[in-house]
Formats: sequence, C-alpha cells, structure tokens
Amino acid sequence: MSKLLIVDDEIDIREFARNYFKKRGIQVFTASGGSEALDILKEERPDLILLDVRMEEMTGVEFLQKMRGEGDPTKVIMVSGIEDEETINQARSLGIIGFIHKPLVLEELQKIVMKELKQGA
Amino acid sequence: MMHAFSLFFSSLVVFVFGLTIFIRNRRVSLNRIFFLFCFCIFVWLFSYSVAFLVEGEIFKIFMFKVGYIGIAFIPIIWLLYTGEFLEDKFLSRLFYWVLPFPCFFVFFNFYKQDFLIKGLNSFVWGDYPRVNLIPHISFLSYFSLLFTLISVALLRASFFSTKHYMHIIRSRYIFWGTIVGSFAAVDFVPNYGFDLYPMGFLFMIAFTGMTFYSVIKYRLMNVSLVITRTSIFVAVYSLILGIPYAFAIGCQEWLRMHFGELWWLSPMVLLTVMATAGPFIYLAIQRRAEEKLFQDQRRYQSTLRQASTGMGRIKDMDKLLDMIVRVVTRSVRIEHSFIYLSDRKSKEYKLEASRFRNERTDVPQTIASDSRVLKALKKIRAPIVFSEVQQRAQDFKDLKLQELEEQMSALHAELIVPCFIDEKLIAVMVMGKKVSGELYSQDDLAVFMILSNQAGLAIENAQFYKDMRATHEQLFRAEKMATIGIMADGLSHQINNRLHALGFIAGDALDTIQLNKKLKMTDEVKEMMVDIEHALTRIQENVSQGGEVVRGLLKYSRKSDEQFGEVELDELIDEAVTMAQFKIKTGEMSIVRDFEPGLPKIHGNFTQLQEVFFNMIDNAYDAMMQRKSDLKEEGYEPRITIKAERSRMGSMRIVLEDNGIGIRAEDQEKIFTPFFTTKLSSKKGTGLGLYVIQKLIEENHKGKVFYKSEYGKGTRVYITLPTVEGLDQDMIQSVERQA
Repeated sequence: MSKLLIVDDEIDIREFARNYFKKRGIQVFTASGGSEALDILKEERPDLILLDVRMEEMTGVEFLQKMRGEGDPTKVIMVSGIEDEETINQARSLGIIGFIHKPLVLEELQKIVMKELKQGA
Repeated sequence: MMHAFSLFFSSLVVFVFGLTIFIRNRRVSLNRIFFLFCFCIFVWLFSYSVAFLVEGEIFKIFMFKVGYIGIAFIPIIWLLYTGEFLEDKFLSRLFYWVLPFPCFFVFFNFYKQDFLIKGLNSFVWGDYPRVNLIPHISFLSYFSLLFTLISVALLRASFFSTKHYMHIIRSRYIFWGTIVGSFAAVDFVPNYGFDLYPMGFLFMIAFTGMTFYSVIKYRLMNVSLVITRTSIFVAVYSLILGIPYAFAIGCQEWLRMHFGELWWLSPMVLLTVMATAGPFIYLAIQRRAEEKLFQDQRRYQSTLRQASTGMGRIKDMDKLLDMIVRVVTRSVRIEHSFIYLSDRKSKEYKLEASRFRNERTDVPQTIASDSRVLKALKKIRAPIVFSEVQQRAQDFKDLKLQELEEQMSALHAELIVPCFIDEKLIAVMVMGKKVSGELYSQDDLAVFMILSNQAGLAIENAQFYKDMRATHEQLFRAEKMATIGIMADGLSHQINNRLHALGFIAGDALDTIQLNKKLKMTDEVKEMMVDIEHALTRIQENVSQGGEVVRGLLKYSRKSDEQFGEVELDELIDEAVTMAQFKIKTGEMSIVRDFEPGLPKIHGNFTQLQEVFFNMIDNAYDAMMQRKSDLKEEGYEPRITIKAERSRMGSMRIVLEDNGIGIRAEDQEKIFTPFFTTKLSSKKGTGLGLYVIQKLIEENHKGKVFYKSEYGKGTRVYITLPTVEGLDQDMIQSVERQA
C-alpha cells in the first residue's frame, strides 16, 4: 500500500484529504506541523509528501531544508498560496516534483498524486 | 497797501491756473480759451493792485482803465469757453455777435474822458473808481445778461445732458464755479460810492480754481463737497479779513483818540491773530460739515471695513466671493458687482461671483490674459474709474485708453479694483455705477483698496484650504491604497486558505457521492444525491473564481522584482492580443497600430506589460461590445487604435483609443480604485484590472497612466513608459556623477 504524508496546519485539510485518499486505498498520515512530520517521516517512510508552504511552526521550505539536510530523498509536492517567485525557486532548488496553487481542484491533485505513487510503486 | 498785495497775489494764482492748463495740453482749444480767460482776470487784478500802489489820481485812473480791459472781456471769453465746452453752436455763434460790446466799452473808456470812470471814491482800504452811472449800468447789463445765459446753459447741461458721465460732472463743476464767480460782482458796489470791501478776488480764485480742478483732475470730488468747502473757505476768510477792516473803519475815531498816530496797530494785530487762527477754524468747520454731508458714505465705508476684517474667517471660496459681492452691492448701493479670479491653468480671469441690484445683464465669463484691463491694473496697481478713463481717452486721443474704455464698458464696469498678493494679481473686482449716480470718491477708492487687500488675503486663504482639502483627499486615497496593498497580502492568504479548505471539503464530499453512485438507493435519495452533487460542484466553481480574484489582487499588491529588460512594443501587443483571444473574439474588432518610425524599445518587464495591455484591450473590447448592444448604431465598427511616439528623452507615449461606450462622468474618479467595476457581474469583472494597470505602470515602471473618456464616444488611455534610451541617459549621468 502506498503511503502519503500530508503536512498542513489546517485541520479541515488534514481530515478531508485523509478521507479522500483513503477511499483510493492509500495509507494516509497527517501532520499539523514540521516537527511532527519529521517524526512520521522517520518512522513510516512515506512515498510522497503533500507539503503546505505557509505554516506557523515551521514553513514548508524550512521543513524541506531540514529533511533534505538529513538526506531524506522523499518526493514532495508543495501546496502554495500565491507565493513569491523566490519561495518557489528556493523550494525547487531543494528538489520538489512540483507545486500546486491553492485553492486547488481536487481532481487535478488526485491525478498528480496517483501518478507519482504509481511510479514509486 | 494790504489790498494791493491781496490782489497781486490773487492775480498770480489765477495766472498760474491758466498757464498750467495751457502748458499741459495746448493743442486743445478749450485749454487755450481757459488760459485767455485767466489772463483777463489777471489783467484786472494786476492792474487794480498797481492802481492801489501808485500815487496820483491820473495814474490810478489809468491803471483802473487798464483793469477794465480785463473785466470787459471776462464774460465774453467765458461765453466762448462754455460754448466750446458744451459744444453749443448757439453760444459759440453768439460770441461773435456780442464781441463788439466789450470792444466798444474798452475803446470808449480810453478814448472818451469820463465815459465809464469819472473819478475816484476814497475808502479806508484805498481809492476806488467812481463810475458814470448810465454807461456803467449798460456795462453791468451786458455783464449780467451773459452770465445768466451761461449759467442757464450750464445748468441744463448738468442735469439733462446725454453726454458721458464725467462730462456731466464737469458741467456741474463749471456751473457752480460760474455761480461762485458771479459773486465777484460785489466789486462793482464801491463803484457807486457804497463802502463795501471789494473781495471779488476771493470768488475769482474759487471760480477759476474749481474749473482748474475739474480739468486737471480726473478723479473729481463730489460737487457738493467742493461747494461746501468753497463756501466755508470764502465765508471764513471774508470774516478774517472783514472783521479787522470793520474794526478799523468803525472804531477809527475811538482808536485815534487812544493810540494817536499808531491807531492802525491794533486792527493789524487783530488781523494777524485772525489770519493765524484762520486755517484751524476753516478745518474745524469743514470737518463738521463733511460729517453731515457724507453720513451715508461714512456708514457704508465702515460696513465695508467691518466686512474686510470678517472675511479672513470664511474658508469656503464660493461663500467668500458671494459675501463680498453681496456686501459691496448692498452697502455701497451700486447696480452690480462681480469678481473675476485668476485661473492658474489658462491664465485667464474667470467670473466667479456676481450680484445684481436689479436686472441681470450679460457679463463676459472671462477676462483674457492679454486684455488692456489686466495690463492697466498690473501697471498702476490701483483702482481704475471708468469715467476717468473715458475723459482721458477723449482729452489725449490715446488709442490704448480708448481700448481700455471699450473693454471696461463691455464689463459694465464703472470701477475696477485689483486684488494683489505680492506681485500677483489674483482677483479683479468689477463694480457698476452707484444707484445715486454719484461718482466714486477718493475716500471710496481708499476703502475699496483696503477691502481688496483683505479680500486678496481671504481668497488666498480659501484657495489654500481648497488645495489642502484636495491634497488631503489624494493622500487619503493613496493611504487607502497602501493599506489595501498591505492588507491584501495577509488577508488574501487567509481567504485563500479558507477557499482552499472549502474546496477540499466540497471536493471530498463530491468524490464520496460519485464513488457511491452504484449503491442501492431509493429514487428519492438518488434525486437528492443529484441535487447535492450539483450544489457541491457550484461550491467548487465558486472557490475557483474566488481564488482567481485573490490571486489577481495579490499578484500585484506586492513589489515585484521581476526582471526588467528590453521590450519591443509590437511584440508586446501581439502577445497581449494572443492572450486576449482566449477571452474575447478578436475578429469582432480591428486593432490599428500607428507607431512612429524608429521607436526605441521599452525598458520594462514583459509579463507585467503584457498584463497591462491585455487588460486594456479586454476593457476596450467590453466597452465596445457594450456600445454595440446598448446603442445599436448602424454601421458601428469597433476599433482600437494604438499610437506610440517618443515623448521626452528616455520615454515613450502610448495612446490606446477605443470607440466604445466610454466612462460615465460620475465613475471617472473611481475607476482606478480596487474592486470598483462598471461591468455587469455576469461579465465577471473583478474590479482589479485598472488598479493593477496603474500599479504596474506607475510603481513598477515609474511611468504614467491617465485617461480621457466621454460617455457614448469612447475612451483614450495615455501611457508613458521608460525606454532603453532613458536607461542610457541614467547610466551616463551616474557615470558623470562618479567622475
């Protein structure tokens, strides 16, 4: 079973995203912040991470830096608001598959996620 | 002795009056005649003064006879003067008919012994001619008949003349002068042996003085004032001179008894004392009299002074100007008054306030900046009186004055008062005639100058308030924009996150329904599921739209440090049109490009500028489609014209013109405000297009954007953008600065 980690400080997103991907037979983990996500990352080794850019505790880019700093190569899709070019470029240099703007169209997200998970499997 | 001196002095004064007028403008025949008239009086007074000085009866009589030459010609020369002045043909012709009479008297006076002067009458103040009754009475008749005739002619002219105002006022002066002059006939009384001091010379000075004044001065005093002053002068001085004489004559015996040979000393001392006190008495009486005479005038002058001080407190320009014209018209009792204000842009003076006592007349709306009126005001920096200008124009045949006269007459101006602040003529006050028909007095003008100075300050004040309010509003708007910019950043993220969550929730619910469609459901439940599915789909769509609005705003609300480079206008517009094609049917309109050859490239960010032109083409398209559907004109062809040319060094001016519906006047102020849209909601305008355009051009590109629009005709957007040439220029400058 593919493993998906969703990092977002919005409880609604965590809840409904988990629901949504569970229905498609994906094992979903959620984290409300960077440090919780790092723990899950070590324990569960997910195949793909959906990472919010703006979070209170630790920004998406900071999380990405830490994670890559520890040598973790897990694939990441960034979910961004309308970020500066700078943020996105920074994230790109840290190795991400892509980013998707909020508010997203769920179907599109699903297509990308499914594609990446299939490739990984 | 004393009398001789008074006569001598008077003769000189009168002579100087005549000479001054003559020298001033000798080409005018009226001035020559006046000189001749004064000369006659001079001959009379001078000869008489000599006669009083010389010893011996024969000499005295001879000098008196010489004096009679002057006296004989006084009425006839005055007849000539009034004939000429009033342009009265009858009086002028009469001159030639009457001319033999004085010649006859003068001739026989010398030729025939005892014809007019038979001998001398001795009086205390000196010897005086004793006349032959019959010839002298006929002489007197000639004298009084002419003077009566002249007075009647002048009186008629003073009240029923159709000539211009100044002329009428002059007629009144000359009329009253003539009346005062007639009193000089008292000098004939001692001729018949009655002891009356011949003080005709005083009246003669007053007479010629008044005429002199009316000719030389264009700003004439009120006639009644002159009459009052003259009568007070004559009355006071005849008392001053008369009382010591009466004392000397009446108490001569008594004085001789007490003081012997030096009896005349005490009347002499009295005379000195009275002559010293004279001016004080004169001034005191004059002040009293004038206070009575000018009660009304003083009253409105004080009203105006009060108004002057209150004006500074009025901050609203319209109210201020209205108050000034109202107060002036009402308190001074004039026919109308207007205020013209300097317009900073056009340099014209525009009519800003007007007030009419009775009916309104057509008043010019502007005074042109190069008009004679303004030139004159700037030159003399003092009030200009119409009748004065009129008289001067006539007297000097000056073309500039005639032009000024015409312009003032077009303004219905009897008086124009300038308002200066430092060197700047900021306003012009135009006043009509006084209802009473009186002239503006020197006092009035002084009060108006105070009023205009105060008005100038108050106007400047009000202007300042007006400007400040405008600046304040502008600042407020800018601040609002800035706040919106900052807020947009934080707020849109929040809203975006809400939308995001909303989309997620709706999407998941929708997904659940779609995945479970195959489950067994009753028809009712199935129908309900369809409804819910539809609702969720609508929610998702709204989320997407909301996201677009937020993105649109956020995209430009923050400073962009995107790369600047060389942008070719042609290419830019191609791309913008391509972008627009997704949204609009470009086949429905034509886009005409009119670029100056050799146009330099723009220094800017391609993506941002593409957004700008896309938005403008999009707006133009919507406006043209609206015109098409609203006005339904036959043969209407939607067309966008894009013109581009170099403007200043280092910048380019682009004009994008459409023939769409245009912008309503009431919307024009608001169109750059974020979230303001005139487009119908069905067209999905976010209200951000022009706001974004303005930000991109003015903040990011340091350019300029403004527009002109007329509803129903179309809109023109003017854009100035920097070119790469400007960049070179900057480089050169900064290199130079470093070097």
